[in-house]
Amino acid sequence: MRKSITILLTVATLALPVVDATAATRAKTKKIVISKRFTGSLASVTRWGSLQVTIVVRKTTTTTGTKKKVTRRITAVTVPIYPNHTDRSVYINQTAIPYLKSEALQAQSANINLVSGATDSSSAFAQSLQAAILKAKKA
Amino acid sequence: MSVAAPTALPGVRRVEHIMGLPIVVDVRDDGEAGAVLDELFDWLRWVDATFSTFKDDSEISRINRDELRREDADPEVVEVLERCDRLRAETNGYFDMRSPGGSIDPSGLVKGWAVDRAAAILDDAGVHNYAVSAGGDIRIRGRAVPELAWRIGIQHPLDRHQVAAVIETTTDLAIATSGAYARGDHVWNPYSARPPAGILSVTVVGHELATADAYATAAFAMGPELAPHWTARLDGYEAMTILADEIVFKTAGFPDD
Repeated sequence: MRKSITILLTVATLALPVVDATAATRAKTKKIVISKRFTGSLASVTRWGSLQVTIVVRKTTTTTGTKKKVTRRITAVTVPIYPNHTDRSVYINQTAIPYLKSEALQAQSANINLVSGATDSSSAFAQSLQAAILKAKKA
Repeated sequence: MSVAAPTALPGVRRVEHIMGLPIVVDVRDDGEAGAVLDELFDWLRWVDATFSTFKDDSEISRINRDELRREDADPEVVEVLERCDRLRAETNGYFDMRSPGGSIDPSGLVKGWAVDRAAAILDDAGVHNYAVSAGGDIRIRGRAVPELAWRIGIQHPLDRHQVAAVIETTTDLAIATSGAYARGDHVWNPYSARPPAGILSVTVVGHELATADAYATAAFAMGPELAPHWTARLDGYEAMTILADEIVFKTAGFPDD
């Protein structure tokens, strides 16, 4: 069950070759970006029901003179149809389907206790912590 | 430095600089936690003295100079090095403590492992509400009394004054983030021998910090094409990957609000 779904996602990932067309001449660079949605075939996962995967692919075509470079990137993976008609399949879909949610990066300044981040310079971290402690003392 | 704020918050907060990192312990249980905090920070200092590659007399430095055989090292060292080997296999070589020159540096695992053990020290002492942060890699338990939960921000990789997500939880949790924005390019892709391009950070959450941290490091090294899909298949761990083009991938169970 899990294996069939994994293969489905893998196929979707691997079917995106990066094409690098030839010839190098100096000229203006033109860039075209297109995003398209692709829906996979409805796959039966035996007795648990059916599953379908949709991906959004962003295709960037960069043309410099006669040199053309095409890159494709998956920018979203969703599972619009998944097995959920029995308690067991709901359980499986909650725990076993390796799917990803995609969204744009957000910035928020929220009320928090601590921040998880890549190892930070100690002084900035200590400063921020000190500020947090002071704030907490006033609260 | 110890900061006690009896009128505002229960418990005690202490910060020390060990392993080149600020270690923050925030205990929200009432009562005297001084002795257990002493024990906790003693443990971290022992880890630093034993594992640091910057200290000539550490066991790791002695192993790298061929003065100490791996199998003769302290049992804790043997355990950590074996775990690094297993994680290298599990991450297809993307988590690798070996340098191109052949020396070893297990610090990518040691930090998380040391904090997991520090959390166990607090658990054994009957502390139920705490957070331990080692340079932004965090273990939380219980809640941030008097608040009803812990609220942990995930650093926004492009704006240090903002967060990109907030995890609010009462579940015991480990949260690790790997990225290139803080200390420059310190994670390298072992296959291309270059820092990964196109990826800003990977955050991994789960029950153990050592594993979460190693997974975050490995996924970050994998780069933008592989990382989101690899993290989607982790067992018991959820992830959030931020790409350079400001697209964020979260696995289905990532616990932010």
